[in-house]
Amino acid sequence: MSTLQSIPVVATKAEKPSGGTGNLLANVFDELTAFCRSRSLFMLHYCTGCGAIELPPAMTSRFDMERLGIQPMVTPRQADILLVTGYVSTKTLKRIILTYEQMNSPKYVIGICSCTVNGGMYWQSYATAKVLADYMPVDMYIAGCMPRPEAVISGLRELMANIRAGRSDNWRDYYRRYDHYLGNQQRLFGENWQTPTDVIGEARHYGQFGPETLGEHTALLERHQTPLLPFEMRLGLGGEKTGVENKGDKR
Amino acid sequence: MMHILIELAVMPLVAFTIGMFMVLMMRKIAAKIQRRVGPPLLQPLYDIVKLYAKKTQSSHGLLHDIGIVMAVGGYIAAETMLPVPGMNGIADKAGLLTLAYVTMIPSLGLALGVGQCANPNGSIGIARALTAMLAYDIPFVVIIFGASWFYGSNNLIEVIAAQQAGGIASWGVTKMPLLAIAGLFTLYAMLGKQPFEIYVAPAEIATGPMVEMGGKHLGGLFVMQCFQLFTASAVYVSMFLGGGENWLFFILKLFAVVAIPMSMAFVFPRYRTEDVLAVVWRWPMVLGLAGVWLVMH
Ligand code: SF4
Repeated sequence: MSTLQSIPVVATKAEKPSGGTGNLLANVFDELTAFCRSRSLFMLHYCTGCGAIELPPAMTSRFDMERLGIQPMVTPRQADILLVTGYVSTKTLKRIILTYEQMNSPKYVIGICSCTVNGGMYWQSYATAKVLADYMPVDMYIAGCMPRPEAVISGLRELMANIRAGRSDNWRDYYRRYDHYLGNQQRLFGENWQTPTDVIGEARHYGQFGPETLGEHTALLERHQTPLLPFEMRLGLGGEKTGVENKGDKR
Repeated sequence: MMHILIELAVMPLVAFTIGMFMVLMMRKIAAKIQRRVGPPLLQPLYDIVKLYAKKTQSSHGLLHDIGIVMAVGGYIAAETMLPVPGMNGIADKAGLLTLAYVTMIPSLGLALGVGQCANPNGSIGIARALTAMLAYDIPFVVIIFGASWFYGSNNLIEVIAAQQAGGIASWGVTKMPLLAIAGLFTLYAMLGKQPFEIYVAPAEIATGPMVEMGGKHLGGLFVMQCFQLFTASAVYVSMFLGGGENWLFFILKLFAVVAIPMSMAFVFPRYRTEDVLAVVWRWPMVLGLAGVWLVMH
C-alpha cells in the first residue's frame, strides 16, 4: 500500500440510463429517484474505532449534516449508508458483515479513517482486519487519522455526487462477486462461517446473479451450512436449563 | 355522487401535502432550537421517494405488509371524515366518535405488523405505543364528550358551523377554555414527541415499532406520520378554533396548532412509560373534567 493508486476502491461504471432514448417517462423517473437517493441518506454509524469521535460535530450545529439530507438512523433496515469509523477487529467485522447484509439496497459503505483503508497504525495487530474492501464493497474512503468533520462532510458530498451520477452501485458487486467476498471472510473466520442472510438467494431474486456469485467458497459454505432454526423459547424455573438454543447459530 | 368521489380522492392528497410541510416545520423547529440550518424545503418528499425506490425489500411476511396498509389506510379513512374548506367528504355521516375510533386503527395495524417481525425491540415499542394510546385516548374521549355536549352534536360540520356563526367569540377556545387547554395537552401526547416519545426512543429500543421497517415499509410509516400530524391538528382546529373559513386561515391555524407542542418538544428528554400515564391522566384529565363540569352547568 505504498502509493495512493493501490488503495483498493471498487469502481463501478455509470449505469446506462434505462430505456435509452425510447421511454421518456422511465428516464424522468430514473432521474427523480437518483436525485432523491442522493439527497436523502440515512446513515448507520457503526462506531468501531476512534474515528467516531468526529461524527458528533459533523452532525450537530457546527457542521449540520441534515442540511444535506443526511441523518442518523438506528437500525440497519432503515439505513442507506454504513459508516465504518475506524479500525475493524476480527470480532467486530463479523457484526459489520451481518449489519451490511441486513440493509436494503441500494446501500453504500463508507470507510472513515486510515485503519479501514490499509490497517493504519494497527497494521501489525493480529486481531485487526486490515482492508475493509476485502470483505464488502466500499464506496468511499475518507482517509486520515482521524479525518476532521470537514473531510467527513466533503467525503459525503462526493458520495452524493456519485450517487446522483449513478457511479455508486457497489452493492451489486457484493451479489455479483459474492464468492470473492465470502472467500476473504472464510479466510478470517474459518470455513464454517455463515450469516443469516441468504445472499445467493437474494442475488437470484433481484436479478443480480453474476458469473462470480458462485464458486469454490460458496460450495464450501453449502457444505457447512446449517439451516437457521427459529429461536426456541423456554421458560425455566429453578435448576432447569433456561434460555435459548439455536443449532444454526455457529457464530 | 361524482363530486363525493372526487373529494374522497382529493382530501387525503391535500392532507398528505400539508402533513409533509408539517414534518418539514417540525424538523426546522428542531434545527433552529439546536442552532442548525436544518433540512431543505422538499426533504420530506426526498425521503419518501427514496424509501419507495429501494431495490431490495425486507418483508417479514403478509401481516407485516398488511400492518403498514392498515396504518396508512386508517388515516386515509380519517381524512375523508374531516371537513376542510370547500370539501366535506363523508363528514356528515361520521362524527367525532367515529374519528376517535378510526384513528386507533393505525396503532392496531402497526401492532399486527410489528408482531410478525419478531424483534424484541419492536414488541416493547408496540406495547409502549398501545399504553400511550390508552393514556391519551381517555382524556381525548372526555374532551370530545364535553365539546359534543356544548355544541349539542358530535357532527363536525355542525360543530364548525356553530363556531363560524359568531366569529372568534363563538369559537370553542373562547367558550370552553379549559377543554381547549386539555385538548392541546392531549394533542401533544398524541403526536408522540418528547417528552411523550416513549415508543420511539431511538437510543433505548432502537425506534421501537420501526425497528424492522426498511424501504417501502418505512416509507409507508413516513407517509403515515404526515397524515397523523394533519389529522391531529385538523381535529383540534375543527373543535376549538372554528374550523376553516378559507384555506389561508385554515392552514395558518393548522400549522400554529402543531408548532406549539413542537417548539416545546425538543428541549425535553423523555418520560418513562408510567410517568406518561401519570402525567396524562392527571393534568388533561382534571382540566377536561373541570371543563366538562363548567360546560354542563
Ligand atoms: S485511523 Fe487513527 S483515528 Fe482512525 S481508527 Fe485508526 S488509529 Fe483511530
